[in-house]
Amino acid sequence: MILTLSLTVVGLILIGLYGLLAVRNLFKLIITLQILVKGAVLALVIAGETSGRLQLGQSLAVTVIVADTVVAVIALALAVQLKQQSGTVDVGRLDTLKG
Amino acid sequence: MWSILLSLLALICGIQAIRAKQLLAAALWLAGVSAAVATLLYSLGAYEVAVIELSVGAGLVTVLFVFAIAIAGEEAMSARLILPRLLPLLLVLGLLAVLAVGGRQAGVNSEMLAVSRGQLATDQDFATTHWQERGLDALVQIGLIFAGVMGVLGLLTEQAGFVGAKRNSEELGRNQENSPQLPQVPPVPLSSHSSLSSHEFSP
Amino acid sequence: MPFWLIILTIVLPWSGAIIVWSVGDHRPQIQHRLALLFSGLAGLCALLLIPLTSDAAAIRLPFGAAAFGDLTFIPDSLGVLLAVIATVIGSLTVLFSNGYMQGEKSLGRYYALVLLFIGSMVGLVLSGSLFFLFLFWEMTALCSYALIAFHSDNPQAVRGGMTALLITQLGGVGLLAGVLAIYAWLGSFDIPTFLAEGGSLPGPVLAAVGFTFLLAAATKSAQFPFHTWLPGAMEAPTPVSALIHAATMVNAGVYLLVRFYPALAGIPGWTTAVILIGLITALMGSLMALTTYDLKRTLAYSTISQLGVMVVAVGVGGIFASQFHLASHALFKALLFLGAGAVIHQVGTRDMRQMGGLWRTMPLVANCFVIGAAALAGVPLLNGFWSKELILETALHNGYPWVYLTLVLTAGLTAAYAVRMVWWVFVGWRTEQFQLLDPGFQVAQFKGIGEALDPVTDSPAPATVHSGSPHPSPQFPFHAPLVILALGTLLSWLIAGEMGHWLAQTLPFHNLHVLPTLELVAEITLNEATLLALMVTAAGMVIWWWRGRILWVWYWFRPLRQAARHDFGFTWLNDRIVTDVKGFAAAWQLTQTGQLNWNMAGIVMALLVILLIIFNW
Repeated sequence: MILTLSLTVVGLILIGLYGLLAVRNLFKLIITLQILVKGAVLALVIAGETSGRLQLGQSLAVTVIVADTVVAVIALALAVQLKQQSGTVDVGRLDTLKG
Repeated sequence: MWSILLSLLALICGIQAIRAKQLLAAALWLAGVSAAVATLLYSLGAYEVAVIELSVGAGLVTVLFVFAIAIAGEEAMSARLILPRLLPLLLVLGLLAVLAVGGRQAGVNSEMLAVSRGQLATDQDFATTHWQERGLDALVQIGLIFAGVMGVLGLLTEQAGFVGAKRNSEELGRNQENSPQLPQVPPVPLSSHSSLSSHEFSP
Repeated sequence: MPFWLIILTIVLPWSGAIIVWSVGDHRPQIQHRLALLFSGLAGLCALLLIPLTSDAAAIRLPFGAAAFGDLTFIPDSLGVLLAVIATVIGSLTVLFSNGYMQGEKSLGRYYALVLLFIGSMVGLVLSGSLFFLFLFWEMTALCSYALIAFHSDNPQAVRGGMTALLITQLGGVGLLAGVLAIYAWLGSFDIPTFLAEGGSLPGPVLAAVGFTFLLAAATKSAQFPFHTWLPGAMEAPTPVSALIHAATMVNAGVYLLVRFYPALAGIPGWTTAVILIGLITALMGSLMALTTYDLKRTLAYSTISQLGVMVVAVGVGGIFASQFHLASHALFKALLFLGAGAVIHQVGTRDMRQMGGLWRTMPLVANCFVIGAAALAGVPLLNGFWSKELILETALHNGYPWVYLTLVLTAGLTAAYAVRMVWWVFVGWRTEQFQLLDPGFQVAQFKGIGEALDPVTDSPAPATVHSGSPHPSPQFPFHAPLVILALGTLLSWLIAGEMGHWLAQTLPFHNLHVLPTLELVAEITLNEATLLALMVTAAGMVIWWWRGRILWVWYWFRPLRQAARHDFGFTWLNDRIVTDVKGFAAAWQLTQTGQLNWNMAGIVMALLVILLIIFNW
């Protein structure tokens, strides 16, 4: 069971990373970021489970969930603002930082 | 057995969330990932986190996504990747290979990963651990939640304010178009004073 | 008791900064009074610390043993001396600012930064933790930058501030590197621990620490080759120049060298490097002071030169001599700067050739200024004379005759430019027609400054100086700091012996041997070294009087004068470095696509590399 879950962690994180590399829509980028962090939450609880300190792992996982939710909220607010300001959330067209 | 099925469900939901063409569908697939992960957490004995993950991850965040997508609307993206077509896949697979080989060399094996020690006698209950052992983190989380509230406010109010501002500027522009006999404001000459206020350091 | 005094000395100016700022610029008189109140109270607290010095930490705040160590404050005599200088001269300059800054805009910002600086400087010198020493060090640099660029509508002020910030940050990085090296090897940020166990560090590490600290000290104290920022810093309001760029912050570098001298003196080549840097700076500074026409720049170059003398004193092992000179210099240079401020305020220009004859119109300022200039030149019975002679004698006594001779030469040049300065400002006449020195590029460069300070001087008519002064001359409080500082310059040497005794008490690592004042005076006056130095000083002064007769020497040294006037090329070098760095950065802009996916790809590649490193491939 722990083995299965460990592989799930790796899978979720790799899916999230792939999404961050390949997705063009800013909203969808936020979604893939969420997937990546789900993997991290699971990993923390697994680490707690295998080290015998499940409650500490849970506590850390809660911190990650809180932080991640706040990230999602702020990122969504920014994305909505961006959509209204520049009319697009396509990261291919949002390249004002080009050197 | 159940854990394998749930793991597969989580992974498939994740892949579908990326593949989905519609944003709303992607958000719902994300909720699926969250639900599957929450169930996995529950099966590990992490009841508190499971509940929080289910309510926050699958509930609150999904609602926020749906709300934000409703405000911003769907937008058609070009299907073309920004990176070279195979690069993302290669990078991710490379990462996987490095992890596998490196983990193997470091002596990680399947028996190790199968060991579950759960809750030892020294481990306290969740509330004690969270509030006493990690009290500072709890305080920081309160600060984070405050930031999140400000973010929600930004999502809700700035939007209205922005639309108002846009309308004002549009009206302004119309007024100018409709009244060409208005005296033309000459371009402000770059006075020495304003040019001096540059903070740029240029030798 | 020391606990609360230290807390008050640091926290009073800081809270004053917040309060003065929040009072708002529409009530300037309240701002003046409040700033004076808070800085004065801080000065009082620092003075009360004098009898309470000890080498044990008076404050110990835990910041996590593994993270930053304890924040300790040690009220030892070295720290308290500098804290007293910072707060007392700080409150005097604030008092002076009450007149000088009348009618200026954004007074709240001005006083807030000055007060923030005073508190940070006290923290810097009293801190017993290397890490927090670094933090306070950076805070003083920040205040210095913001005050140099105070007139932010003047591009030269902004440029000067940025130059100062960049160069002192270079030194800050050096300090941080040294501090981290110490922490990595000793596992502690505690300064007494480092002084006691510094010898146990491996040789190369200790050498690295010594030379990074030397880099930090050289940038902060405007030593060769990092001296270029101090002349540019003269764009700051003159009280700020007096406080930060003459009396306190620039001494932080010397303080650093003195503080860590016991641990670093054993590094091979370190003392030689310190002596060489100090000597070159002292000589170059006095040469440049002799060739500039800008009153404040003359004083800035003079500060550079005198700091060089202090650094030399540290290098030859004269810890007490360096601190004595530091205290003397703080007094007479603050006096000179405030006097110059009064003159500039009155005349509305910084070009010395447009001054002259001011003795008649502002006699009090003139008298105080002459006392300061005489102390700078090393005229006997003023504090500058005793401290400078003590350094010379220490150099000779510790077996550095070449250092002694170079310093004597510097003393002669110092006397020459001191006389030149006094002559042009107070005695002589407006010297546009005076063709001995050819007008250099600085005239054109600084034409705008006077206008920026004062629109009345649009017409360079001589009449404005004598008939109607551009500014109404402020009354008593404006000149009180000048009188106090002049008295200090005249009398402070009387307590030299007591000061040395007091310093020796609480510096267990420095091994100071100090004589009582009377013996000190006897030793200095009866020494042949003093005689030679006095003769050279007198010669330096006489050279200026006889400049007409020795014109040929003047032409003979023409290339040297040209070089000195152009800052020996260091300003050009600085600009060159900045241009090159900017070009380099612009070339790297190509790597920025501005697209999120590429940035993510970079992150993932870095992750790959890190994993490979973790797995030891």
